[in-house]
Amino acid sequence: MSGEPLLKLEDVTRSVRLPDDSELHILNGIDLTVSEGDHIAIVGRSGTGKSTLLNILGLLDRPTSGSLLWRGKDAARLSAKQAAHARGRDLGFVFQQFNLLPGRTALENVMAPLMYASGRDFWNRRKLATEALERVGLGGRLDSMPQTLSGGEQQRVAIARALVRRPRVVLADEPTGALDVSTGRAVMELLDSATVDSGAALITITHDSNVAALAREQFRLDSGRLHPLSEVVVP
Amino acid sequence: MNALARLATGFAAALLEAWQELRIHKLRVLLSLIGVTVAVASLTTALAGAGMARQMMTETLERDGRPAMITTYAFDARSDGGPQGDDSVAQAFEKTSARFKIDYTTMIGRSYDQQVVSQGVALDAETLVVEPDYAPMHRLVMTEGRWLESEDAQNLSPAVVVDQNIIRELGLEGQQLPFTVDLVSNGNAVSVTVIGTSSSRSFGMSGQLWMLPATYEHWFSERAPLNEVSYKMWVPIEGSEELAMHFGQQMQAELPGYTVDSHREDYLMWGADESLKQLALVVSGIAVIILLLGSLSLLNVSMVTMKQRIREVGIRRSFGATTGRVFFSVMMESVVATAVAGGLGVLISVALVSNESLLNMVLATELDQMPPFPLDAALLGMGVSVAVGALTGVLPALVAARVKIVDAIRV
Repeated sequence: MSGEPLLKLEDVTRSVRLPDDSELHILNGIDLTVSEGDHIAIVGRSGTGKSTLLNILGLLDRPTSGSLLWRGKDAARLSAKQAAHARGRDLGFVFQQFNLLPGRTALENVMAPLMYASGRDFWNRRKLATEALERVGLGGRLDSMPQTLSGGEQQRVAIARALVRRPRVVLADEPTGALDVSTGRAVMELLDSATVDSGAALITITHDSNVAALAREQFRLDSGRLHPLSEVVVP
Repeated sequence: MNALARLATGFAAALLEAWQELRIHKLRVLLSLIGVTVAVASLTTALAGAGMARQMMTETLERDGRPAMITTYAFDARSDGGPQGDDSVAQAFEKTSARFKIDYTTMIGRSYDQQVVSQGVALDAETLVVEPDYAPMHRLVMTEGRWLESEDAQNLSPAVVVDQNIIRELGLEGQQLPFTVDLVSNGNAVSVTVIGTSSSRSFGMSGQLWMLPATYEHWFSERAPLNEVSYKMWVPIEGSEELAMHFGQQMQAELPGYTVDSHREDYLMWGADESLKQLALVVSGIAVIILLLGSLSLLNVSMVTMKQRIREVGIRRSFGATTGRVFFSVMMESVVATAVAGGLGVLISVALVSNESLLNMVLATELDQMPPFPLDAALLGMGVSVAVGALTGVLPALVAARVKIVDAIRV
């Protein structure tokens, strides 16, 4: 089981029908394998389908064709409920705009994913969330509201929230997009070390090559196709 | 068991989420729920008020006899007087009621020729000559002391129970029971012992007092013969009319020379009074309209709020919230909110309806006993508010459940 990839995309395409009835092809023939402990960066300009790819990897969206294997299982065969449970249990998301729940403290935000857990995780949610916030250096800001936190602190809350259920894969969509360069670097280092510590795979989507450089594997998404960064010819 | 535990955790978590959501949006929730609170308070007050008024009316009416009450009169064909109560009639009644296995029976003899005198103050009194069963048969509640017992017939000082009017008019409030007063019959005074007092059943400047037949016979009947005598039986409502007819025939057979009339005589013999029910229905109807308007405003606010919360729903879906869970959580927000509003409405209603001075003012009467707040009205108020919450929660819950995660996160 240990050698089995967590995620495997084979010839995945994604297209949408536009109002004028034409078809927009966002992803074309994507192949990607993600295993435990991987740190993958996918770079690309805006509108190249990075977020669409991340949504498919996060079981939030389904490919138009091709296959996505989630821990060896065809994701197309997962029911909506199974996909939701897989997201809650094994996937963590970090968004560009942090997406913290408004009106809730940092602690309540980190506790939020544990509301969908069962058993011990649910009943110990306060303790687990406190520990997660302490790990990202926010042990002193448990009761702070998101609007009172700086951008970097908000993203650290989001990281704690993504990691609190000990996911197997963390998906980060432009995690430094709303931060200045130095804060962004600090956040990425934190995300990298936290996932290394937990053994989770980290997939970062970014348009910042400096952020991508932190990853051990780098890909470029161009015209809906995924290329290893070494193959990419910069125009 | 595992699935059950998961279900319980899910339910607890959904309730918790709903509560957190309400806590965060206190002001919005408060404003949107005013209509529901007012409506539930009105609905509960209408139903509880009508229920209490009905109970009070029933209690008042039952003072003349609890249904079904069969009254029997025996007229001596040889005299032109009122209904008789001599020994032969009493024995015939006793024998016939034993044959029909009647549990509650009493003689009721009345005398209007007596006065109660204490410390030089005299008051006209209606004397009721009754048996111990009279009290439960007529919902006679003692305010102090005790009711008559068979053994009181052996008392060397005649034992009587008097109503509050006698106590008040003779200035005997606060007097320790038992105490004595004089009962004057055609100029002859007999000292009687008051062993208990009951609420007032007489009006104006007169009073009522009760004593056992043997007591009256021994001390008063010679100077003040009873003006009229009847016999009463408290029986189950079903079949009471037929029982009265057969009873009359049997007693008639025991009493040659008498005419026996036995018939049902209680407030329910012509059917229940529906006027209060109709009033409650009208008030409830108005409350339901208020409730609908309140629900519409709640629905309106919930729908607008849900549109603003699409992103939040998307975030929760990314945490692993299933469609069912999102639906249930959003619906629970509405249910929890209306349950709180309903609880508040019921509390307001309890405060209003249980306020004795307010109730006396509204009903323009003085209550002897405050009836308890009807539990069914409180439960109905809570039930209606939870149902309104569930109904108004369905639409926003459907909107939330149909949110496409990818679009929601991008909002």
